[in-house]
Amino acid sequence: MTLEAQLAALRPSLMRFALMQLRNPAVAEDVVSETMLALLEKPARFEGRSTLRTYATGVLKFKIIDVLRRQGREVNIAAGEDQSVDDAIDALFDASGHYHDQPAAWQQPEAALHEQQFMAALQQCIEGLPPRLARVFMAREWLEQDVTEICGELGITANNCGVMLHRARMQLRECLNQTWFAGAGAGAR
Amino acid sequence: MKFMLRCQQASELLSQRQDGELHLADSARLRLHLAMCGACRNVGQQLELIRRAVRQLSEEQSAKP
Repeated sequence: MTLEAQLAALRPSLMRFALMQLRNPAVAEDVVSETMLALLEKPARFEGRSTLRTYATGVLKFKIIDVLRRQGREVNIAAGEDQSVDDAIDALFDASGHYHDQPAAWQQPEAALHEQQFMAALQQCIEGLPPRLARVFMAREWLEQDVTEICGELGITANNCGVMLHRARMQLRECLNQTWFAGAGAGAR
Repeated sequence: MKFMLRCQQASELLSQRQDGELHLADSARLRLHLAMCGACRNVGQQLELIRRAVRQLSEEQSAKP
């Protein structure tokens, strides 16, 4: 198979990967095309080092980080948009900072990792995050950028970044707790 | 921050811990709190699971044909 054909076959998975982070089909399309072109221009770079898929995903990650960096401060993100998440997280705790409903252990969490439906539930929960939180969370977990890098690109303080990551993680925990682990915790000790 | 953590603060430190090493004092407070609080131990394990699941999802998304 020619390299062009191999890349064409990879395109749908690269698109899915880019969309999860960028949430904008037009931008994802551009970044995937750029990745494919970069590979066609310098095919020798990956030969023998890894599979084409792994190499292409690695290049795509860098291209996505580039786009996010360029967008950086251009993105006009309303600070109030994640108010609903703030409220939801605050509502987990009483005035003294203890949980209203003690979170219980999730049943068979390891098994969930092998279930496609769990992965679909996770994806839905991620998609439900407000864009600002999703952007920071995905940069950290999907692109594995470090916090300094992420806040630098967004022009926010490390402290603020930490608060947003905490909110995103707790929101995802809540979402999975409700949708997959069937509300584990209500009334548990 | 007072010496004894509340669950809300513990959840913040559990999150911070995923982004880098905690200060020594915070780390000690968190360990002590976790030793006494099953709910926060559960949350800690769940946040770890979410991290692993997201990274796995990322690999799967790029591995599916």
